[in-house]
Amino acid sequence: MLQNSKWLNGLLQLIVVMSLAGCNAAIDIDKALEGYLKGPAKIYRHSLGGAPSSLDPLNSATLYANYIVINIYDTLFRYKYLARPYEIVPNLAVAMPEVSEDGLTYIIKIKKGVFYADSPAFPNGIGREVIAEDLIYSIKRHFDVVNRSQGSWLWDGKIVGLNEWKEAGSNYSDVIAGLKTLDSHTIKITLIAPYPQLIHTFAQGFSAFVPHEAVKHYGRELSVHPVGSGPFKMLRYESSNYALMIRNIKYREEPIDLEFEGYDPILHKKYGIDKIAGKSPPLVDALKIDFIKESASKWASFNKGNEINFTGVPVEQVEKILSQKQPKPILTPEMAEKYHMFNTTETGFVHTDFNMRDPLIGYNDDPVRDKRNKLLRCAIRSAFDWKERNDVFYSGIAVTFPGIIPPVVPEYDPELSNSSTLRNLDEAKRLMLEGGWTTDNVPSLVYGGVASVATRQMYEQFRGWMKDIGYPEEKVIFDSYASFGDFNKAVKQAKIMIFGMGWGLDYPDAQNTLQLFYGPFGAPGSNSSNYNNPEYNRLYEQTSTMQPSTERTQLYREMNNMVIDDCVTISGLSRENIFLWHKNVVSFTDAQIVGGFHLKFVDMLDEETK
Amino acid sequence: MRKILTGIPLILGVTLISFVLMVHFGPDKTYDLLGKNPTQEQITEVRHQLGYDQSFVVRYTKYLKELATMDFGYSDSSGEKVSSILVRTIPVSLALILPGFVLGNLLGVILALIAAYHRGHWIDKIIMGVSVMGMSVSFLIVIIAFQIIFSSSKGLDLFPVRGWDVYSFTDYIRYVTVPTLASIFVSLGYNTRFYRAVIVEEMGRDHVRTAKAFGAHPIELLFKSVLKNSMIPIITRIMFSIPLVVISGSLLLESYFGIPGVGKVTYDAIISGDQPILKAVIGLTAIMFVFTLIINDILYKVVDPRISLK
Amino acid sequence: MSTVLDTSTAEVVEDKIGESMWSKAAYKFRRDRAGMIGLSVVAFYMLVALGVGVGLWGTEWSDNNGQKWEGVSSQYWFGTNILGQDIFERAIFSTKTAFEVGLVVAVISTLIGAFLGALSGFFSNTWIDEIILWLMGVLDSIPFYLFVAAIAFALSGFAYSMHVAMIATFWTTTSRLVRGEVIKLKNFEFVEAARAVGVPQHIIIVRHILPNTFHILLVQSTIVFVGAIKSEVILSFLGLGVKNGVSWGLMIAESTLEVQAGEFSNFYAASVLLFILVMAFNMFSDALQDALDPKKVST
Repeated sequence: MLQNSKWLNGLLQLIVVMSLAGCNAAIDIDKALEGYLKGPAKIYRHSLGGAPSSLDPLNSATLYANYIVINIYDTLFRYKYLARPYEIVPNLAVAMPEVSEDGLTYIIKIKKGVFYADSPAFPNGIGREVIAEDLIYSIKRHFDVVNRSQGSWLWDGKIVGLNEWKEAGSNYSDVIAGLKTLDSHTIKITLIAPYPQLIHTFAQGFSAFVPHEAVKHYGRELSVHPVGSGPFKMLRYESSNYALMIRNIKYREEPIDLEFEGYDPILHKKYGIDKIAGKSPPLVDALKIDFIKESASKWASFNKGNEINFTGVPVEQVEKILSQKQPKPILTPEMAEKYHMFNTTETGFVHTDFNMRDPLIGYNDDPVRDKRNKLLRCAIRSAFDWKERNDVFYSGIAVTFPGIIPPVVPEYDPELSNSSTLRNLDEAKRLMLEGGWTTDNVPSLVYGGVASVATRQMYEQFRGWMKDIGYPEEKVIFDSYASFGDFNKAVKQAKIMIFGMGWGLDYPDAQNTLQLFYGPFGAPGSNSSNYNNPEYNRLYEQTSTMQPSTERTQLYREMNNMVIDDCVTISGLSRENIFLWHKNVVSFTDAQIVGGFHLKFVDMLDEETK
Repeated sequence: MRKILTGIPLILGVTLISFVLMVHFGPDKTYDLLGKNPTQEQITEVRHQLGYDQSFVVRYTKYLKELATMDFGYSDSSGEKVSSILVRTIPVSLALILPGFVLGNLLGVILALIAAYHRGHWIDKIIMGVSVMGMSVSFLIVIIAFQIIFSSSKGLDLFPVRGWDVYSFTDYIRYVTVPTLASIFVSLGYNTRFYRAVIVEEMGRDHVRTAKAFGAHPIELLFKSVLKNSMIPIITRIMFSIPLVVISGSLLLESYFGIPGVGKVTYDAIISGDQPILKAVIGLTAIMFVFTLIINDILYKVVDPRISLK
Repeated sequence: MSTVLDTSTAEVVEDKIGESMWSKAAYKFRRDRAGMIGLSVVAFYMLVALGVGVGLWGTEWSDNNGQKWEGVSSQYWFGTNILGQDIFERAIFSTKTAFEVGLVVAVISTLIGAFLGALSGFFSNTWIDEIILWLMGVLDSIPFYLFVAAIAFALSGFAYSMHVAMIATFWTTTSRLVRGEVIKLKNFEFVEAARAVGVPQHIIIVRHILPNTFHILLVQSTIVFVGAIKSEVILSFLGLGVKNGVSWGLMIAESTLEVQAGEFSNFYAASVLLFILVMAFNMFSDALQDALDPKKVST
């Protein structure tokens, strides 16, 4: 017996020692930055509600991945730190591109004397200079037949010769006509047709400058060993757990010009932003990002004070921390004492789609049934209660809007009637009657979603509303998918009848949401509702090459009306995000399109200056 | 040696069944890896890269080869080497689960001894009653309740709510305490009852009765005669829980407390359809099971030389 | 002539064993206070579940008429959840779900366990036995949650995938116990006698051996029942459980967020009801075991 427990004790000790094999984070940081620290290392601890799956720019498809990728790697452009609406500005590029008259040729110069961070991937471990060829290489990677790219859609069919290069077997030594270097620091891009959103694609992680040496050195594991010329350098990364980055000591000196970044004393002074003027980013020595999915844990960790410095406020806490919700959220005095708050409407929206390819609810070859289906969809939409959805799931602070042009894009029309977002039971019942729908002959509604608590509750809420218009309980069915992947697959195969979707904008242009209803993008594309209206499609094609203008905005709004009139989707709602951070952090956080570009501007106050 | 050979059909069986279920029918990763508006061509391409287009036999043979060489390739999600993921996460799981496992069994044996010695007495009844109660509480409820009581700012606020920032022994104690308490709470009832049954049976044997009748010292009696002879079922129970404890036992704890162990990695892999990780975890569990069987036989022999290795 | 006589005596002997054991057990069980309490609680739950089944109560579990998180009131005995649904109604409805899961899993896994266990015991040390033992070994060495998740995916969309997974893993214990008992019984006089007079094997199994394993099956099925209810909670929490309706597991899953917002009704309602049922079942099962197997000390 005694012997036994001794043996177990020994084993226990061994295992503890094993799990301690890694050293203390602070010591690691000190060691990595030896000779570059003025005092104790400044560490900012950020948090994200999810984990990136891969840090390879090829796959920086999620907000989480993009967040890290653009901080490790460099992109040609970025968005201004403080200016809203977002303004795109040069990052690694010297200036904004010179665009030809016809909008087809772009000439972009990149900064000289920018070096990759040191890495074992380079000869002698010393990072070399970043050159124009690196961008071309990085875009070619997306079109390499052996690579799995999630970003190739950005340039697919847009750049002269790029698709052909892929078809010819993606040989890196072959030159692409539309993607050339003029000298070591100048890039020339030739487009097939005007593509006004092109520069935005160069502010995304997908277009990050990747050194070919790193690809060769790490192979597939590049996804966990990123090597770039961005403001930070990866020190330690545990996928789905955390990323610990240190300041890239070779990062270019660029003192902050607050005026240029869009500084407005009324908005930004309270966050202490004025203190960073003239400093050169990155301002902290180390940046740790914890990926915490469970909102309760994240909240508790934030409140501990010595753990994460930043959090998004989980919905279930909103009521408690606010003294006022409308018209503008205000923190309770005790919270305001401790934390900085910033609230912003998400650059995206949630909506509930009908699958138009399902003859039971969508398009039907029988013109009479087709019409009745439309009435049924409109009835369901009228029974849908956005206000209640907002109250229950989004603390009542989200913004509802009609159609698919959310308030966050410049083309949003505040004058548009919001009747399509209001619950109107009488109207719903009238539509049911008009379509000849009764409790007995209505088709069963199959509501598909991931088997998570929130989705299930949304379904139950939806079922409750349907019961109000005479739907029997057993005719509103939940089709649950054990994983998001399986749900997504079913959506992409047009197998689900009704489902909730969310969309985060890739760039601040309504084109990005209008494409969600463009016929040719039907499943497996991003048009999950499989809406296919020839007139809509025509307008989409017409506007896709137009530069921003009132004329284009007008056409956008016309398209929006078509989607509303045809009752294709129940839309929409843009969530309100509330961010909190500790008072010793100087930051103006935005977890959206510009996601992550702010991190190099984040500073930590010393104890005495707080 | 013969044992190892007999273990092969078991490994084949486990891998085959899991392969059919998890890999053949499992979640499809294709659409996670595609960009926006993919063409049919791109879909086919990704399916090909994932190996989904190969025949069942080819894929299964490849799996067996991977198992034999212990080279499981790269994760389909993060692109990290499967072996480095396992090396990183298994120690964490072990460190998390071991204290609870050891203490749960140790306390179980002690309580069982007390109960068995006082068989029929109120002490016995209380211990058994509490055990039944402990058995009746769902693990999930215990975890939720303990997190609120010990860690949250609404409760005692003594320990971190989540995570595993372990750099020193103090850190380790801070992070491991609440999960350990939860797993002890849940396993103690089962363990006590099981061990009590074993011990009671042993105490009913003639030589123990005689010794008791002759007034042998109770502690000495329990340890010398009873416990020694009860070792076989006790060891069996402990040994057989090991493979499951190591691989999947900590799944709930890890996902609720946000601890980056192998259980969480495995669960994430199930959800996202990360087949290389699943294949590795299942294969290793099966192999460990076979080894457990073998070691168990050897231990039997050590404890009780009368049993020969068959 | 003598043949007939022989078999009949064998049967008489066997019946006698059976009868005396069952009546003794019933007597013993009635005197076990904990067991009787357990049984009555279980019976009460069963009534509640039956009532839900025939639509007497628990019919409003899916209505969301109330406000978000209403407190306890005469209308909502346990308050309401985030959607304004009546937690009491949902908790009551979940009783039916629990019994459905428990019964389906217990009955089917016991049947499979009994059949395969008897088969492998009767043909012990033949290839049939080897195969069944191999199958049990294989199923036992796949981690439970992995296995359930795998089945949930393999049968995606099928409402009973959780049941299938539990049955597939739970039958092995029953089967092992039955196998052991059958091997013991096989060598009993009455069985040997039956075999000597040439009674076909399947009749021996069905008429002589299986009836004598009933006590094991009964106890084992109560244990499986409890196991199934408890597993349901965890599987539903992981999103692999109940697909239609509501269950305690789903309620607890819902409550994990609500608890953070300081709303405990869902958590309390589901966990207390679950605890009482499982506790009662455990007490019932223990008493049953004591009554049916006097030699055995409860494990």
